Amino acid sequence: MVIFMRGFLAFTKKEFLEQLRTYKWLIFLAVFFLFGLMSPLLAKLTPDILSSMDMGGIQLNLPEPTVMDAYSQYFKNMTQMGVVVVLLVFGSILSNELIKGTLVNILAKGMSRTAVLLSKYTAAVILWSAGFLLSAATNYGYTVYLFKNASVPNLMFSMFCLWLFGCFIIALILLSSVAAAGSFGGLILSAVTLIILLMVNIFPKAEKFNPVTLVSKNTALLNGTNKAGDLYLTVAMTTTLIAVCIITAVLLFKKKQI
Amino acid sequence: MHSLSQLKEYLPFLIPLFLIQLGLMIAALVHIFRHKNYRIGNRVLWVILAVALNTIGPVLYFTIGRGED
Repeated sequence: MVIFMRGFLAFTKKEFLEQLRTYKWLIFLAVFFLFGLMSPLLAKLTPDILSSMDMGGIQLNLPEPTVMDAYSQYFKNMTQMGVVVVLLVFGSILSNELIKGTLVNILAKGMSRTAVLLSKYTAAVILWSAGFLLSAATNYGYTVYLFKNASVPNLMFSMFCLWLFGCFIIALILLSSVAAAGSFGGLILSAVTLIILLMVNIFPKAEKFNPVTLVSKNTALLNGTNKAGDLYLTVAMTTTLIAVCIITAVLLFKKKQI
Repeated sequence: MHSLSQLKEYLPFLIPLFLIQLGLMIAALVHIFRHKNYRIGNRVLWVILAVALNTIGPVLYFTIGRGED
């Protein structure tokens, strides 16, 4: 156990250095800061932009944007572009090392394969959390600045759902990278899985069990259509799925030829 | 609509926006010129993308284009 922990900590440290060296921190923090900044700004300016365009004489009467528009813009950006950024940045966390063969030496020296995977997951989740917190704080600050009154119900819970969904994607990437071969195999497999999950959500009965619901109900949570309690089952389900993904990844990884 | 006072109201947005986009572009350009090998594409392509597509260009370079050291 002590040896395992030592290996885990050493490898996690190595992952952090790698993240810094490969500019992941730079990209992640910059992009998520921009999401937090752009969303309230876009919501505020959309009516101005639309009315400044020539609509062939049609008069547009747009309501004054509200704090709800700012938040729905934010959640839209984060769940669309944000997911793409997460996939791009973390898509090769494992495949890269498998292809380059950099893991062979470390594993030969007795590093546990479980520790390697858990380190990768921990380091990725910490980077995702840092980016997420930065964007959430930026978004909140600028929304308060532009809209004065920024209080909406369930904001914290809605943010938590978004964060949990990010953790789910990273677990999915980890599992896909173990299961699929090639430098983009893991990335493609996780993207395809996400698309399938999105399509499954067409069936209302599947909604409660589908992690995608965590990011499709944000606006409904904020305007009160959905209560936080409606999503507890989804949160529990997603947490279980994250655990299942990681455990399956570890089991597969132990059998994998490297 | 674009009066000076409105511009002033949006300065807290415009300054960080400009600085981050400039920072990303410079970081990408420095990296492009210091390295010879790219996973995809060549130097000319990445310089054009990094300069022309703000934010997206540098992000694509660092995630897809950047070669190994």
